[in-house]
Amino acid sequence: MSHALGRPHLVIPGFRLSLGLTTGTLAVLVLLPLAAMIAIGLANGVPAFVAALADRRVMAAFRVTIGAALVAAVVSAAFGLLLAWVLTRYRFPGRRIIDAAVDLPFALPTAVAGIALTALYAPNGWVGGLLAPFGIKVAFTPLGIVVALVFVGLPFVVRAVQPVLEDLPAHEEEAAHLLGATPAQTFRRVILPAMAPALVTGFTMAFARGLGEYGSVIFIAGNKPMLSEIVPLLIVIQLDQYNYTGAAAIGTLMLLASFVLLLAINRLQAWAGGR
Amino acid sequence: MTAAIEIRGVSKRFGSHLALDNIHLDVRPGELLALLGPSGSGKTSLLRIIAGLEAPDAGQVLFGAEDAAQRRAGEREVGFVFQHYALFRHMTVFENVAFGLRVVPRARRLPRAVIAERVTRLLEMVQLAWLADRMPAQLSGGQRQRVALARALAIEPRVLLLDEPFGALDAKVRKELRRWLRALHEDVKLTSVFVTHDQDEALELADRVVVMSAGRIEQIGGPGEVYTAPASAFVHEFLGDTNRLDCRIEGGRVVLTDGALLGRADAPDGTAVAYVRPHELDVAATREGAAVIRHASTFGPLVRLIVGFGESSLDVAMPVERWVRLGLAVDDRVSLTARYGAVFTRPGQPAVLLRPCIPMNGLRAVPGALGA
Repeated sequence: MSHALGRPHLVIPGFRLSLGLTTGTLAVLVLLPLAAMIAIGLANGVPAFVAALADRRVMAAFRVTIGAALVAAVVSAAFGLLLAWVLTRYRFPGRRIIDAAVDLPFALPTAVAGIALTALYAPNGWVGGLLAPFGIKVAFTPLGIVVALVFVGLPFVVRAVQPVLEDLPAHEEEAAHLLGATPAQTFRRVILPAMAPALVTGFTMAFARGLGEYGSVIFIAGNKPMLSEIVPLLIVIQLDQYNYTGAAAIGTLMLLASFVLLLAINRLQAWAGGR
Repeated sequence: MTAAIEIRGVSKRFGSHLALDNIHLDVRPGELLALLGPSGSGKTSLLRIIAGLEAPDAGQVLFGAEDAAQRRAGEREVGFVFQHYALFRHMTVFENVAFGLRVVPRARRLPRAVIAERVTRLLEMVQLAWLADRMPAQLSGGQRQRVALARALAIEPRVLLLDEPFGALDAKVRKELRRWLRALHEDVKLTSVFVTHDQDEALELADRVVVMSAGRIEQIGGPGEVYTAPASAFVHEFLGDTNRLDCRIEGGRVVLTDGALLGRADAPDGTAVAYVRPHELDVAATREGAAVIRHASTFGPLVRLIVGFGESSLDVAMPVERWVRLGLAVDDRVSLTARYGAVFTRPGQPAVLLRPCIPMNGLRAVPGALGA
């Protein structure tokens, strides 16, 4: 009885049970497969692990994957912000339909999206055909990868930014306006800083998703080694050749690279937020 | 003397709702003007139109002799204080106050050191210099509102506009800030317009009060004037507690619908409405009185009574000493006498003074007198 007095009252009871379930689930669903992957990657020893990675084709795939994911996340952040802005600040017919359509990339099988995008952006497609006279090739180039990744990344940014924008009171903008700020100054000094944490969150999620995206990319990328081949595809190719160790080694490096990048973004966000 | 702000025939419609209906108003240089009215009376719309945050559908706003429509809101040189402060949440107190000085185009911008000096001076004026490095979220409501005021004053505005500036604060802070703002106004003498729905605030703070209702101005006058000489029944009812009594005028006598005589008034015969404020009603112990004390509560130096009279109940207020001297209690029967009152014969017309029957205690001598 007297022991209970010092404890804070919590809605979900049983700290030990809750923590046990949490860590247990995490271990079975996330840590165990990852550990297995690392173990298989290192099964033939460290030299074999390094040899599997020290391949120009593998390194090129890493450059393409990380580069395209970063560019796509930046583009998604910019367009996602604009889209969220329009959806929260304006009332127009069809707004709700557009609002709902934003989530479609979440639900659509990514392969379907990939095929559709390829059909559109191929040199003989509707959009590709318009760009071809200018010498711009989208499908079967790294640019195609970026387009596919923006497609899957955009909703993350919109859904991260939208609620914050809705909460941002119009009075702050009016106050800036009355104090003589131009619209550009109001955006840069008042609106953007208030939204920065949400924008970085959306950017991070879009980026993380871009690193691992497979289905939509492989159709539009053309998968030319050294040019438009992504790491997840390389892993599948290794698996097709029953080279499990090589696939696991690439997977392990991918995991490490993603973890370091996401951690860096996280630290950056904390630093910016604490300023 | 030319007006600092001249509002000429301003109308504003939101959908089918007429928020402002042909408003004419002069704001005098250096005065503190209150726009007072219930919610939906159009007072905030009028303030936002003066600021340039809304455009009027018809009419003009003149600053000095110049049509304000020529200027964007940001160029009108108005300081605006929002009800919920609208401080920039990611900036320190210092940066909030400096904002209006930092966004000036480079060619006209003050040097950094001058900006810092002015911001510090403003923060000292609002007694918050020690909080310069805090974020708005770390401040109390009263402190935030003072930061908002310093921020509005930083651009050295020609007029200061305040939208329900104390509305979000608790009663004690509100009173303090009100006194403080009045003292500040005495020092700075900046032409100021503030919106409020609180009559105490308007009457205590303002040089002149504009009473608004349903998009129209009911009365413009000094605080004493609107209270003692209301231009309409609405103004009387809105400013302070009052009792409303339906009545008839019969040959100068004010007779209630049940036949009781309330008093005399120089008004033509016909139906009318009489208002008597709680402190203008006297009670006297009478065994056969028609009124009965239903409830009594002490409220500081006053005792407030609810007195049942026929179907209706009336509010009566008196000093505690008087209540003690009368020696009355709940359920005692009493008679009521109106010492003063306001009689309105037609809507939108000024009041006719209600006079007691003479002699004062003669009320009970008249058959059917109120409560006797």
